[in-house]
Amino acid sequence: RAAHGALSGRLKAAVHYTVGCLCQEVAEDKDVEFSKQSIAAISEITFRQCEIFAKDLEMFARHAKRTTVNTEDVKLLARRSNSLLKYITQKSEELASTNMEQKEKKRKKSSAAKGERTPGEQEAAVTENEDSNMA
Amino acid sequence: QKKPHEPQLPRSLIKEIFSHFVKMPVTRDAFKIVEKCCERYFKQLSNDLEAYASHAGRKTVEVADLEVLMRRQGLVTDKMPLHVLIERYLPLEYRKLLIPVAMSGNKVIPSK
Repeated sequence: RAAHGALSGRLKAAVHYTVGCLCQEVAEDKDVEFSKQSIAAISEITFRQCEIFAKDLEMFARHAKRTTVNTEDVKLLARRSNSLLKYITQKSEELASTNMEQKEKKRKKSSAAKGERTPGEQEAAVTENEDSNMA
Repeated sequence: QKKPHEPQLPRSLIKEIFSHFVKMPVTRDAFKIVEKCCERYFKQLSNDLEAYASHAGRKTVEVADLEVLMRRQGLVTDKMPLHVLIERYLPLEYRKLLIPVAMSGNKVIPSK
């Protein structure tokens, strides 16, 4: 439990740092200033929102009888706001196209190196790509 | 001749349910707004259920889809399971249809 507390503290610090950077960007763009308290509040909100997102994504994946969260689940999460859904869909299409390119490259390389892979392995490679891009 | 209009919940029923929960006098105009809201609610509900059903690779809406929906609405949580809500808000005859009950002779009604 103590270890868990320390981990969440570190996570919170990381979120706080990133929120600070984003707020600074907005501050320069809009020519306003953020007080330290407001940045702290935004980072706390972000942290709690992540908990909600994680729970909902898990629920959506389980609903589709999967154990891995994919982009479809994320799209479902963003359904409540039309503009957000549009944005997320666009981003996921971009991701998918870059993934396809990478996959093509990999396939050429691997087929040149050691022949065709089994379908299962290919799928695993794709999900790995998605994960690394999502982070 | 009356115009055929979209199917909707009976006004009297909406009125009855709403006034049961508000426990306060409500004007006629306010009830009209509540009716409009109900219509909107059902539109949104059907869109959501369609999305959840197709997400699970089905064309039929099932209880699981409704549970996911109610979780998203914050009605069903870890502390408030669907069965408790059913027991609390639905009349006995509907509860019987939804919640399996073990009967004598090791039978479960309704069987799944």
